[in-house]
Amino acid sequence: MKKPLFTYLFCLFVVAIQAQTNSDSCTDADADTAIVGPGTFTINGIIDGTEIPSPICAANGTGATNGEWYRYIPNNDYTVTVTTDLTQNTGKDTRVHIYTGVCGSLACAGGDDDSGSGFLSVAQFNVTSGTTYYIAFDDKWSDSEFDWQLIEGAVVTPPPPAPITFTQQALATNGTNRAVVDMNGDHLDDVVAVTATNININYQLATGGFNSVDITTSSADFTPNWSLSAADFDANGYTDLLYGAGQGVTFMKANSTGTGFTEISGAEYVFSQRSNFADINMDGHLDAFVCHDVQPNVYYLNDGNGNLIFNQTASGTAPFNLGDYSSGGNYGSIWVDYDNDGDSDMFIAKCGGEEARRRNQMHRNDSYYDVTNNLIVNYTEVASQIGLSDPIQTWSSSWGDFDNDGDMDVFVGASSGTHKLMRNDLDLTTGTVTFTDVTAGSGVLDMTATGIENVTYDFNNDGFLDLASNGHILFGNGDMTFTLYSDLLPPAGSFGDLNSDGFIDGFSSNGTIYMNDTTTNNWITINTVGNVSNINGIGARITIETPSGSQIRDVRSGDGFRYMNTLNTHFGLGADTTITSITVEWPSGIVDTILTPLVNQTLNLIEGANQLSVDQFLITDLILYPNPTTHSLNLNAENYILNKSDYSIFDMNGRQVLKGKLINNTIDVSKIQSGNYILRLSSNGKVKAQKFIKK
Amino acid sequence: MVKNYVLLLLIAFSVFAQSSCTSDENYVPTKQPKQESPVVFNPEATPFNTLSEYHFFEGNLKDLSPVFGVLPYEPINSLFTDYAHKKRFVWMPSNQKATYVDAHSTLNFPIGAVLIKNFYYQNVLPNNLTRIIETRLMYNTSQGWKFANYIWNDDQTEAYFDLTGSYTDIDFIENGQTKSTTYRIPSAAECFTCHKSEVNSIPIGLKPQNLNKSITYSDGIKNQFQKWIEVGYLEDNLPNLINTVSNWEDTTSNLTDRMRGYLDINCAHCHSQDRHCDYRPVRFAFGDYQGEVSLGVCVDPDTPIAPYSKIVEPGNIARSLVHFRLNNTQEQYRMPLLGRTLIHEEGVTLLEQWITSLTTTCQ
Repeated sequence: MKKPLFTYLFCLFVVAIQAQTNSDSCTDADADTAIVGPGTFTINGIIDGTEIPSPICAANGTGATNGEWYRYIPNNDYTVTVTTDLTQNTGKDTRVHIYTGVCGSLACAGGDDDSGSGFLSVAQFNVTSGTTYYIAFDDKWSDSEFDWQLIEGAVVTPPPPAPITFTQQALATNGTNRAVVDMNGDHLDDVVAVTATNININYQLATGGFNSVDITTSSADFTPNWSLSAADFDANGYTDLLYGAGQGVTFMKANSTGTGFTEISGAEYVFSQRSNFADINMDGHLDAFVCHDVQPNVYYLNDGNGNLIFNQTASGTAPFNLGDYSSGGNYGSIWVDYDNDGDSDMFIAKCGGEEARRRNQMHRNDSYYDVTNNLIVNYTEVASQIGLSDPIQTWSSSWGDFDNDGDMDVFVGASSGTHKLMRNDLDLTTGTVTFTDVTAGSGVLDMTATGIENVTYDFNNDGFLDLASNGHILFGNGDMTFTLYSDLLPPAGSFGDLNSDGFIDGFSSNGTIYMNDTTTNNWITINTVGNVSNINGIGARITIETPSGSQIRDVRSGDGFRYMNTLNTHFGLGADTTITSITVEWPSGIVDTILTPLVNQTLNLIEGANQLSVDQFLITDLILYPNPTTHSLNLNAENYILNKSDYSIFDMNGRQVLKGKLINNTIDVSKIQSGNYILRLSSNGKVKAQKFIKK
Repeated sequence: MVKNYVLLLLIAFSVFAQSSCTSDENYVPTKQPKQESPVVFNPEATPFNTLSEYHFFEGNLKDLSPVFGVLPYEPINSLFTDYAHKKRFVWMPSNQKATYVDAHSTLNFPIGAVLIKNFYYQNVLPNNLTRIIETRLMYNTSQGWKFANYIWNDDQTEAYFDLTGSYTDIDFIENGQTKSTTYRIPSAAECFTCHKSEVNSIPIGLKPQNLNKSITYSDGIKNQFQKWIEVGYLEDNLPNLINTVSNWEDTTSNLTDRMRGYLDINCAHCHSQDRHCDYRPVRFAFGDYQGEVSLGVCVDPDTPIAPYSKIVEPGNIARSLVHFRLNNTQEQYRMPLLGRTLIHEEGVTLLEQWITSLTTTCQ
């Protein structure tokens, strides 16, 4: 009778010594007995260990001041659960980090903040027999004592990872983080943080890493609380900044060496929301546009000498109506050529108040050359005609060719309510555009979270644009459907390539780089340098042809809501190892074409440096009739298969004046002025040209 | 027949006298010769260039001593605007009066009614003087409510029309603490952003729920409605019971009632139907209250900001977004959106007490 009792006591003793005590640091845990099996453990007293768990392996960032550490060495491979979600912990708030590696050089293996009930933690991770793991709790939320449990279970194969993941790296900045954009003309994306009196630039180094420089400024009247946008509006080679604040707008103009900034603050009251740089009047100089929350929109026209002239829609001598609703409601402006006519149009995501105030707007640019060869620019609000005038509550939209059919589609991200995805159905015969609601079944509604930040990039370089929405990524499948992966990115921040590896990285508003873990997919990055057009090439349309098909991008400054993203243009190529052609259609009408560039490189393209000499493609048996013509230009179809070729019509200055896809071997040229022209047809990288006269 | 009339009159008088006495001992109906208000005001005309031209005040303008017909009023709760003090008055054309709609709706004011709101600081440094910053007018016209604003000169002898918006730096002592602010004098668009319902301008504070209190008049303490009826500014058709907000500063009231009073006056002008930020899932108006959920308790924010899990996380200040927004001076985060650059410490304290007191478990 005594023996069983003794055995029982012995077992209790074994259980007791498994309950390893908490240690004050990683090295203390090394000195203490390791946990080798499941059990419930108690943190005795408050969390007061001196070593703060680092790196952070759970949500909600830094802020802890103490930690408690355990060491765990499993005897088998398991899927392990570490949980504080125990009844005795009700009402408590815990956070846990799980590491591999050695003290002083730890890497995250798991972690959790709030997955349990209330604010308790449940972390699950797979372990390898004999490997040392460290389990560390911190006092981010509370330092009060609690119990936690370690459960060993059969190995569960983890769900397939997201198409792309990101590794977090801290980057010290000085000020409010607002931009990832090249500041010094080397086309490497830098990180910009600002205060009222300082611009902190982490210049990206060609050798990797950053060089942090503080540039003191005068005390800015307005700071970029609502948005920041960037471009070189005085074309001196150094990027200038626009600060959009709740009561006005400040510009910070970089000097000729990029070492100082001159403040230009307007006296005008502007309740800024999204801002952009764009060449609004198409004179080759960058202008600025700022959404106004409570009045008609404002814009600043560049006189060509670096002076910005204030205009407010519907007042004074403002030349363009760019949103005149008297009480505003303008949140997210974005410049995009939605109708493929070669000039930039502007869409505004709107929000708040009566329906008329919050119906989204599309300001179509109807630019043309008049009979005396003057460029006439005019904007017309057409959202209701093309199916875009939703009263949805939205602060930003993402524009991209999500199905790679050659026109820009739109994801309108709800700030409250339901997101909307619309496909651009550009009619190639008539040139008319309608947008079709393809939200249902697209997968975008799997994302029920709302917010204010929506942009599009090809994060995994598979050749299909993805949507980054408030920290979640909807990975594009190339057919207007998307697959949701939540919380891959910070909810708010900037995007660009922070290590020049051809993959888009994130930079969170709280100062963490989300470095893209990359895939084996190929890519190409294109930096546009204008001369006739604006220096950044903003407004240029870039088209690439690869064996898989074509992709398009518009160069823009200012997307999403608050932050500034790279001015460089980035394409993923999937498995394609060749590019048939890159075409850059500059706002000036100049068209550059690069044939068969190498993949996985960054190209700096200077406007006009790669114009195709059309003469070499002139083909005598391509017959255009009637010639001269007044309305239609017909092509003989006998000699070539031309249907659905891309066509461009150039004037004698090499300026593209009309473009489209050839349908039924006829082109409507009634809208171009009289003169001599060259028609260029291109299909699969093959170019043909012929001259004609418009009467 | 004659007897009957006398009898009727007697009964009528005694009833009148009795009801007067029961409602207010001090109330004595007086027959005075009809006095004319000296105020000069034409609602359809362009606003005057100077405040003095209206003749709202007599004596030194800065004393804000109202003329006959300019009646002081006080809401139970008022919007926090960087600790500015406010002196409010109402004026109406002769033989015009407002009417009661319901407890939660602004009184229906006659055309020509003027609301006069003076913003000033006491103990302004360096000399501990009072400084009046601006006098805002809202007046009702045949085209609806309009705004005018008058900015006071440094001598405090006159205020000049200006609706373009401007700033003035001010250092002052409030509750023994020295504070500084770059005070924002609003532009017309800012006035409208808070004072709007769809495309129309509206007053905010003049709802029966917020006026149902007694204040001190030159002839004694009176309920404001009673006074307004007495001077002919309000139709005598009020119900016996008016659903009234709690004074957020009244520590004898319960916390939720105080919180509702605070949020109503500071937040509901945006977060109500057809207002500037009507699309957020909160309804702070006193009359819109349908339980804690109206105030954001256990409600997910539309715009997530880590680590705030709910608009109001019961018992957990550190996870409540509303606390982050009220306890913040960064323009892109702070609430209210307009009119505040300093933290309202007393308001935040109330918010903290209220959040701590909540025991609801969120689903």
